[in-house]
Amino acid sequence: MNTKIKVNNLDLWYGTFQALKNVNAAFNEKEITAIIGPSGCGKSTLLRTMNRMNDLIEGVRIEGKILVDYVNILDSKADLINLRKKVGMVFQRPNPFPLSIYENIAFGLRIHDSIKRDELDEAVKQALTQVALWDELKDKLNKSALNLSLEQRQRLCIARLVAVKPDVLLMDEPCSSLDPQATARIEELMRELKNRYTIIIVTHNMQQAARVSDDTGFMLLGELIEFAKTGDIFTKPKDKRTEDYITGRYG
Amino acid sequence: MRKFKEFIVEKLILICGLFCILVVVLIFIFLLKEGLTLFKTVPLSHFLFGKNWYPISEPAQFGILPLILGSLLVTVGAAIISIPIGVGCAIYIAEVAPLKTKEILKAGIELLAAIPSVVLGFIGMITLVPWIKTIFKLPTGLTALSGSIMLAFMAMPTIVSIAEDALYSVPKSYKEGALALGATRWQTIWRVELSAASSGILAAVMLGIGRVIGETMAVMMITGNSAVIPTSILEPVRTLTATIAAEMGEAVVGSEHYFALFAIGIVLFLISFAINVTADMFLHKK
Repeated sequence: MNTKIKVNNLDLWYGTFQALKNVNAAFNEKEITAIIGPSGCGKSTLLRTMNRMNDLIEGVRIEGKILVDYVNILDSKADLINLRKKVGMVFQRPNPFPLSIYENIAFGLRIHDSIKRDELDEAVKQALTQVALWDELKDKLNKSALNLSLEQRQRLCIARLVAVKPDVLLMDEPCSSLDPQATARIEELMRELKNRYTIIIVTHNMQQAARVSDDTGFMLLGELIEFAKTGDIFTKPKDKRTEDYITGRYG
Repeated sequence: MRKFKEFIVEKLILICGLFCILVVVLIFIFLLKEGLTLFKTVPLSHFLFGKNWYPISEPAQFGILPLILGSLLVTVGAAIISIPIGVGCAIYIAEVAPLKTKEILKAGIELLAAIPSVVLGFIGMITLVPWIKTIFKLPTGLTALSGSIMLAFMAMPTIVSIAEDALYSVPKSYKEGALALGATRWQTIWRVELSAASSGILAAVMLGIGRVIGETMAVMMITGNSAVIPTSILEPVRTLTATIAAEMGEAVVGSEHYFALFAIGIVLFLISFAINVTADMFLHKK
């Protein structure tokens, strides 16, 4: 199993508040890794560091290394455009652009390449097919994406990402605004996508982590307490705090 | 007792509201009554499309086409100048500027809005008009272009502040989504944020134009006030507003000239009304 992303001695401060404390982890290629933990434990922060979305927040200071394909992306000379093309992100609330369904997917393709119309059509079709939206939406490609259901919107956001052919999908609680059936279908989709992409999902839903992930990391107060095979984390956690969390003692 | 107080306050507010509407209606009725009297003697088509505005010659001619074209030319000129600069400024303030710069710029824009139009007209007359005259080697610097430039300064605060509001209220999640796909800041602004804020920006533009078309003092001072059909932006023109302001004092009450000025008022009213309604439609479009 190849390591896709390696996190080495990562510390992160928002102003004077230390949100990540000496995090070390290795994320395997073409697997799903879940990061769980109570609210405010730093799991989203860790995720957002992997495609440098934390750069948008003022007063962030980061030390340590994150290697994506052995290249340190925290380097000040790192190419953010290509990093984010390679490591895409799905957000907690589905955030399609206020454009048509077609243009939502075409957006990512247009910003990276000059691309011909028929190639674009084909790429849009492929992306929508991958997230199982093509049959539902093929006749409404010019309708606004804002009229879709929440689940469709979240699928569209995933389609928008896969259209630019990333290696890694970062998912920040992608199902938190969805109902249980929609959640189950998105999880199903994640399992299909893992054949082609490395997926890292942040979730506060332990069952979800147990259902979809191969590896799981448990975070608490900015520290990565335990990181192991999902089966091991949930059946024989090594750390007392992990055990307390998964048995529902807090969180 | 408490109920009674509530009742009084409620009715007082109601009266205030009705009063405002009443005033508007009264103004409109007065305008219509005085203005429409003109059309007893002058046909509407002669008024709207007549090429000559000779209100005091014998026989008098009341064609406002030169005035409409004058207003249009000055307004279009002002729009061409103020829209790109105004929207650009709004983008800079909303998206690019660091916090300090943003505060200073916003205060500056508000200050610009606070300058009385007569002062702008005066400054234009002293500085801009001679420049235009020398740069373009014209017999006079009192031209439509001078008016356009000064009016652009008056439209800009409106355009900037409303467009900035529109951009500011674009959800941050759109921006994050675009950046997370590897878009540059400019691609994000151009392809996502501007299209998300487009209705607000259009409204800003319309309201800016509305401000320009109703402006009187500055244009009267620097556009030269010659009521002929303009053939270029470097000629003196006269606007609808300036005509009313300049001639109302000398028009005999109850004369054709007097009614013609009110009829111009109706035309202006309709134009402003149309612009405001369009802007409103953009603002409330969802």
